Amino acid sequence: MRAFGELWDEYTRDRFGVKDEKYRRFRYGVQVNSLGLTESQPENNAWRILIEALGVTLSRDARARAIQLPAWNEALSLPRPWDQQWSLRLQQILAYETDLLEYPDLFEGSVVVRSKVDELKAQAREEIEKILGMGGVIPAIESGYLKSALVRSMSERMSAINTGEQIVVGLNKWTDGLPSPLLGGEDGGIFTLDESAARDAIESLERTRADRDPQRVEAALEALKAAARDGSSMMEPSIECALARVTTGEWAGALREVFGEYRPATGVEGQQLGLSGDRVDALRDRIAKLADRLGHRPRIVVGKPGLDGHSNGAEVIAVSARHVGFDVIYSGIRLSPDEIVQSAVEEDADVIGASVLSGSHLELAQQIMDRLAEYGAAERIAVVFGGIIPKGDFDKLAAIGVRRVFTPSDYELIDIMESIVGLLESNAAA
Amino acid sequence: MSELDALVERARTLDKGSVARLISLFEDRRPEAVRDRVRVLELLDAEGADRRCAVLGITGTPGSGKSTLVSALTGRMLAERDDLSIAVVAVDPSSHVSGGSLLGDRTRMRFVPDERRLFFRSQASETDLGGLGPSSFQVCRLLSRLFDCVIIETVGIGQSEADIRHLADRVYLVLQPLGGDEVQFLKAGIIEVPHVFVLNKSDEPSSETSYHQLRSSMWLARPFDDEPPPIHRTSATTGAGLEELAGDLLTTIDSATGCSLTEREPYFFERWVDDEWGRVGTRVLVDELGGAAAYLSACDGYDRAQLDFGDRVRASLS
Repeated sequence: MRAFGELWDEYTRDRFGVKDEKYRRFRYGVQVNSLGLTESQPENNAWRILIEALGVTLSRDARARAIQLPAWNEALSLPRPWDQQWSLRLQQILAYETDLLEYPDLFEGSVVVRSKVDELKAQAREEIEKILGMGGVIPAIESGYLKSALVRSMSERMSAINTGEQIVVGLNKWTDGLPSPLLGGEDGGIFTLDESAARDAIESLERTRADRDPQRVEAALEALKAAARDGSSMMEPSIECALARVTTGEWAGALREVFGEYRPATGVEGQQLGLSGDRVDALRDRIAKLADRLGHRPRIVVGKPGLDGHSNGAEVIAVSARHVGFDVIYSGIRLSPDEIVQSAVEEDADVIGASVLSGSHLELAQQIMDRLAEYGAAERIAVVFGGIIPKGDFDKLAAIGVRRVFTPSDYELIDIMESIVGLLESNAAA
Repeated sequence: MSELDALVERARTLDKGSVARLISLFEDRRPEAVRDRVRVLELLDAEGADRRCAVLGITGTPGSGKSTLVSALTGRMLAERDDLSIAVVAVDPSSHVSGGSLLGDRTRMRFVPDERRLFFRSQASETDLGGLGPSSFQVCRLLSRLFDCVIIETVGIGQSEADIRHLADRVYLVLQPLGGDEVQFLKAGIIEVPHVFVLNKSDEPSSETSYHQLRSSMWLARPFDDEPPPIHRTSATTGAGLEELAGDLLTTIDSATGCSLTEREPYFFERWVDDEWGRVGTRVLVDELGGAAAYLSACDGYDRAQLDFGDRVRASLS
């Protein structure tokens, strides 16, 4: 963040001509990421969160104005209120029990920190110049350049963890441990969705729709669409939409009518996985044999139903499946179960791999299985799930018809691929 | 009624699952699949003598916006004609290392729930570089008997996009506004293939120059044309030019004749022989059987010709 703050200052001054130093100050809040958190030995995540928190608070010159820390159990489920409270307490201890806030910058004059910052800045500048060369960030998004870089980085990280080159304590090293008491208790240390919450939300939506003035709603939506079409400001009509109690779905639907729907680049094309060796070769042989038996190379539709945007899992699975020899159909995230099932049916896929991190895996699994049954394809197309799925739901998913479930503790990509190929082999034999 | 016959019945109604399974049968490279294909074609031809279908090829460089364009065009065409049905086959390259592929063209397609008139299928090119896959022709034989229009979308990255010319009634080459290098690329032969040029992303500033460059290079690169081929300028962002281009596609569909692709069989038979039997097969075909056209007409149809060909090769070798 030191490097970022300095770059921000330099770019706003030199490129955008902001003269007053005060307006060039970078003020940011940070949501510390949960990428490094593990499902195995989840108590270790508390230390990881502490170290991440220090990263954005220790140095005054680059200190976040607001932080939101993840909870120790985010690789297992959504956090419970107590888990969030525990993370909040960490911030309060930092702020009120230490004298961190009383000193000027602690790293001022450090040769090591200075050289690290300079190195990062040089690399960042090089990247910024490259993107400017493409015509700016919008063309870089549209061409998929940015997304590809993200997927590549994640694929490299997973490969390094799989080969043992990158150590993750409790995951690929020092994996033996005593059972975690944090996972005890009636709820097993995880958050379970209250099924009545969805019902309440739907009821409230229906109440709203029944109570409002439909003519005003229609007029507000028409005004919004008109503004979208002629390019004038959509703020005023949007405010009127809110006052008329137009739902967010109706609001977005009106804009979709005018603009269509944006499907971003998936970033998975052309990606390589740094995994090789006997197990990869053996699996490719098994897939070739399976292809002879099926009459086609096995096809997998990788899908991410729902609105949650955590795409790493789906992307790495898509890249891995191609790496071992699947034909992979991956259309990116935020798809409805309907879209995923229609893809699988049209492509005559052998398996659907669905990634769900939002906690709604049971509902989504049910929707996918129901749609497959409507197409008469529930027997033919196997369904596997991956994501933040508590062990307690495995049996429920199996009862719905999901054949395999993978969670963050299944971090070895080749294990996952072997398991899916095994499933298809047993289906082909049946 | 056999299971296969029932499947064909359902596929006639464009039931997605049934069409998809029949496509798999036409992609199936196992020898026993040939007999089933013969049966399927028999059933379809029995009740579709007056069927007509146009096969349209859409090719272009990666990033030219082919998939988005196909999505926009099919949407317009289906909206304009209530009784029209379209199948899209999108071919993507396979990995030479693993044999696997990432089939990403679906990403750009709009999702229309329960719309049977539009069918989308991805296909891996397998060993073939970028152009058609080994079973693209087979799949077209099937789909042309079920749909009014089959659109084949291929990645044109070199010599191989010329393949599409052998399969499609009309080839559309989609280009984006060009840089200097790409003008060179055009001279390398791709410019001779298409019937129609589509200069996409015409909202970009460099598009005007590109249009004139393209226009002026036509007479040099295509001395065989009496009339210069049409160049459509389109933009999926603004919608410009889409109506005219959709009109071109619809006109082609209206003037389509037949649906069996018989006249295309010799070329694809040669390819199949080369894929499956290599040089030995090709030698048998040319030297002993008088070439693909002669052999096909001596056999009872394309599929039986495939079935019998193994025996011919073995007889020749013994």
